Formats: sequence, structure tokens, C-alpha cells
Amino acid sequence: MNKASQNLQGAAPVSVARRNFLRGVPVVTAAAVLAPAPAIASTGKQQWAMLIDVRKCIGCQACTVSCIQENAVPEGSFRTVVSTYSVKLTDSTQPAGTYVLPRLCNHCDNPPCIPVCPVSATYKREDGIVAVDGDRCVGCAYCVQACPYDARFINHDTGKADKCTFCAHRVDAGLLPACVETCVGGARIFGDINNSEGEFARLLKDAQPQLKVLKPELETAPRVFYIGLDERFTGKVEGQGTLWKPRSLPHA
Amino acid sequence: MNPNIVETINVAREVAWLPWAVQYLFLIGLSYGAWLLSLPGVVFRRPGWAGISRLALLGALVCGLAAPVALLADLHQPGRFWHFYAYFTPTSWMSWGAFFIPVYLGGLLIYAWLAFRPELARHAQSGGKLAGMAGVLAYGGHESRGALKAAALLAFIGAALVALYTGAEVAVVQARPLWNTPLLPLQFFVTAFAGAVGLVLLFNRYSVRDEAANRRLAGVLAATQAVALAVGALWLALGVSGISPVHARALAEVGPSANWQLSALWAVAATVLTLVLAWKRPGSGLLIGLLALHSAWMMRWSIFIGGQEVPKTGAGYYTYSLPLGPEGLMGIVGTAGLWVFLFVLITTLLPLDRLAAGADDNAAA
Ligand code: SF4
Ligand code: SF4
Repeated sequence: MNKASQNLQGAAPVSVARRNFLRGVPVVTAAAVLAPAPAIASTGKQQWAMLIDVRKCIGCQACTVSCIQENAVPEGSFRTVVSTYSVKLTDSTQPAGTYVLPRLCNHCDNPPCIPVCPVSATYKREDGIVAVDGDRCVGCAYCVQACPYDARFINHDTGKADKCTFCAHRVDAGLLPACVETCVGGARIFGDINNSEGEFARLLKDAQPQLKVLKPELETAPRVFYIGLDERFTGKVEGQGTLWKPRSLPHA
Repeated sequence: MNPNIVETINVAREVAWLPWAVQYLFLIGLSYGAWLLSLPGVVFRRPGWAGISRLALLGALVCGLAAPVALLADLHQPGRFWHFYAYFTPTSWMSWGAFFIPVYLGGLLIYAWLAFRPELARHAQSGGKLAGMAGVLAYGGHESRGALKAAALLAFIGAALVALYTGAEVAVVQARPLWNTPLLPLQFFVTAFAGAVGLVLLFNRYSVRDEAANRRLAGVLAATQAVALAVGALWLALGVSGISPVHARALAEVGPSANWQLSALWAVAATVLTLVLAWKRPGSGLLIGLLALHSAWMMRWSIFIGGQEVPKTGAGYYTYSLPLGPEGLMGIVGTAGLWVFLFVLITTLLPLDRLAAGADDNAAA
């Protein structure tokens, strides 16, 4: 296609880099994409973000499962999920195609979930991650209502607000979020937008013309960016409701 | 709905503000509404209002005391309610609410005590059930108009703040277009006040059956229903015409749903019926009272629970079915039970009949 997408094809080594990273081998090309050493993480200079290339997502839900495993998400609840849609095709011999859209907390830079919290339990870390202080949260669910992305829920096991943390515990330890680590298609890329020299910033810059966020009109300034985001899916999707919906069990 | 897109996999987010929250908004609304109805008789001593206003004050008290329990139960960490006071957050209406509720309830309790002191003393003298307790509570049984007016002012400030915050807290949620309209607080207020009129109509019916009071209340109720219809019509007009984008969004969010069309139709029919009955047959106190209470509750249920059935990003609607446990039906039954308990307790000290009838002394003054 264009230059940007070529560059994104060029981003494929990320998955290789990921494996190398696990082995503790320093990787030069994707160093900025990967979380650096913990010592650097504490300087507060980074601003973590995610770039999701929808074209590479194969809808396998490996991220969904790894997130549940990593974060002990209760049955029926999800911090991330790949919303899947069947879309009628007009320009093909096939009747319908599948559209997949990985969703998670956008770690908005102007997050509506923060000002509503009556006890300041929801806050933005210096590195841009929107977090919940579990010791303070009263479980009032005001933030659940205020998030325009349905990213939050009340965790039945803890009685507190829950959502994607960008795997802050892993990032602080210099690891990648679990979903990024497991992404089969290499569609999820994680990095620091503040490091203008880094690979992640370069990827973002190259993809700029086609970069989109969800519900841009709300001006929440999401830190999850998409490549290949179809206009029909940026807001509340107009279509027939889900055929299968997981439901969490009543208090176990 | 776009028939070309079918969602095959997505998350269904559960209702996070539970039926407890509906009960809270319902009860606190009835309480401040009833409190307003207590003013003409108790504070301003308008002729013909004494009985109505005392019954209303009883309603304000019972509902006001039950409401915070429902609110606490809606927290998923009720034991941490003190965090509201330890970590005040001025950007959050809910945080402000935690401070407004005690202002209102404090004002209400002092005001009710001052208003009912002579009654409590009377009960103590009559030697009825819990007469000893009534005697202690009466604390001499004197009437102190100055203090009463001061307490009324405090309660007024509290009631206004509570009415403001309960409406604003919901109306500011941009993520839910149905809630995010400036008319919502007004709609909450009007239906709360109408519900309170309904409650007093029931109290009157089950005590002295004062026909004059019944008619007076029916007149007030008819007016509230007319206002409710006018505000509803304005809401719709703003939405349909597109003059107000927030109303248009709210309408677009629920308009296509058959369930919502039914709810809206139901609400309009109930309001029109109440209006016509209250106006043409003011004697039907029991029926219009129940209708008004039902409308106030239904309005909160549909907006609150129904509003949470609209996915923010996913297609279609979630379906809510009322769980039978504490997070559902038991929440409703529990608050109703608490209400009955408080009602029985308070009316033992302050019997309904006496509140409704022992009015002439005040009215004459
Ligand atoms: S996506 Fe929702 S929960 Fe996440 S930061 Fe934005 S508003 Fe808050
Ligand atoms: S549920 Fe917790 S984090 Fe969310 S608004 Fe309430 S107190 Fe804050």
C-alpha cells in the first residue's frame, strides 16, 4: 500500500524481538518498543501506549486468555477482548467477512473515569497508566459508568473497580504486557510515545495518516491507537447485538 | 440498526449500579419531596395544610432514614464508606453528595424533632406504647418556632443540595447519552415531588381520610403531572428537532428499541391517567397516590437500569434480568422491609391518626 503500511510490515520483527526479550537478550531494533529496565521505568519520563494493527489481528483471542491468566480476571469478566463482527461484503464473491477489534482500557490522557471517582482511587501514574488504588476504592462503580469504552467492571472477587492496567506490574519489571507478549499476529505493539528516538514513536509517526482512536469526538485522548480501524467501529457499533455473550456468574 | 453487521463475540458488561441505587434515588427523592410538602403546614401554618404537612414530614423522615442504607448497600465495599470523608474529591458529584446527605438528614432530623416535640409529649401523656421513650424524646415538649425555622433553613439547604447532586451525578455521565441531558435533574425532581404527594395521599387515606386534604393533594398532583408531561414533551422536541445535540443523542440511543418505546409509552400513559384522575376525580386518592409512586419508581428504574443496558461500544443492547440475591430482588425487598420497620417504629410514637388530625391548633394559629 503506502509507506506507512510498509513500515508496519517492517514491524514484524517485533515478535522475534519479543522472544529474544524473554531470553533476556538485548534487542536493538525493538528496544524502544519493549519496556526498558525497571530503573528507567521509575524516572517517570515514559508515557506508555499501545498501537494495534487491526489488519494483523487474526481474532484468536490469545490476548484475551493470557490477560485472564496473568491478572486472575474472574470468570465472565474481561480486561481485554477481541470484539468480533460478521460484516456483509459488497465487493466480493464471499457473502460476509469477519472484522476483529481488540478492545482494552485506552489509558486516556483525558480520562473521564478519573474526575468522577469520589475518593480519588482512580488516578494516572506518571508513566501515563490509568490505575486503581485497590486499598482506597469503595466499589461505587461511578468510574464504570463514566468510562465511554465499557473498559471497566466491578470485580466480583475483590468488590473493586477493575480494568486493564497495561500489566503495570510487568511493565515495572521491564516486561511487556501479557497480551502483547502472546499476540499471535503481532498486532499489539507496546511502547513509549515520549521516546521520540525510539522504534515505537517511529512506528506511530509512520502510521500517522491512518492512525485512529475510538470515539475521538469525546476528546478523551486515548493512548491506544489503531491502524486499520474501520469508521463503522469507532463508536457504538450499529448492528445486530452479540449472538453469544459471556456472563459472569453471580457471586461465587 | 445496520443489518450488514452482526456482532458475534463481545463482552456483556453487567449492571454496576444495582437496584439498591434505584431504591436510594427513589427514597431520597420521596424524602425531599415530602419535606417540601411539610413546609406549608409546619413552617408557614397555611390553613388547611397542617395535617398534610405533618403526614408529609413523617414520610420525609421514614424515607430519609431508609435511603442512606440503600446507598451504602450499593457500594461494593460498604465498610469503606468513611473513605468518602477521608478522601474528598471536589471533581466528583458523588463525593460532594457524601457531604450533602448529612446536611439534609441532620437538618431534617432536627426540624422533625422540633416540629413533633409537642406531639411526642402528648403521646407520653396518653401512656400508649413506648410512652416512656416518647417522653424522653419530647424533652419537655415545648414548641420553639425560632429554632424550627432555623432547622427548616438548614434542611432546605440540604434538600436543595441533595436534589441537585442526585440529578447532576447522573446527568454528567457523558458516556451514557440517555443520562447526559440537562433536563434529567429536573425530571428526577418533578417525579420525586409527585411521588411524595402520592405517599401523603396514601397516608391520608389510611388515617383520617380527610376529604379536603385529599382534594388539595390531588390538585397539587395534577399540577406535577402537567409539569412532568411538559418537560417530557420538551425533551422529545429537543431530541427530534436536533436543536439540542445531547437530547438528539439520547433519543438516538434508545429510540430504536422496542422495549424503550414500550417504557416511554407506559410512562406517558401513567402520567396522563394520573393527571386526568387527579383533576376529574380528586376523590380517588388511593389510586392516584399509588400511580404517582409507581411512576416515580418506574422512571428511576428505566433510566437507571435501562440506561446500563445500552452497550457503550458494542452493538445492540444488553439484557438485564433481575437476580434474586442481594444484588437484585433482595435489594428491593430489603429496603422495602427497612422502610416498613421505620414506619412502624415512628408511627408507634407518632400515630398517623394523630398527626393527620391533631391539626387544628396549628392551623388556627
Ligand atoms: S478507557 Fe475508560 S477506564 Fe480506560 S482510561 Fe479511558 S475512560 Fe478510563
Ligand atoms: S469504583 Fe472505585 S475507582 Fe471506581 S469511582 Fe468508585 S471508588 Fe473510584
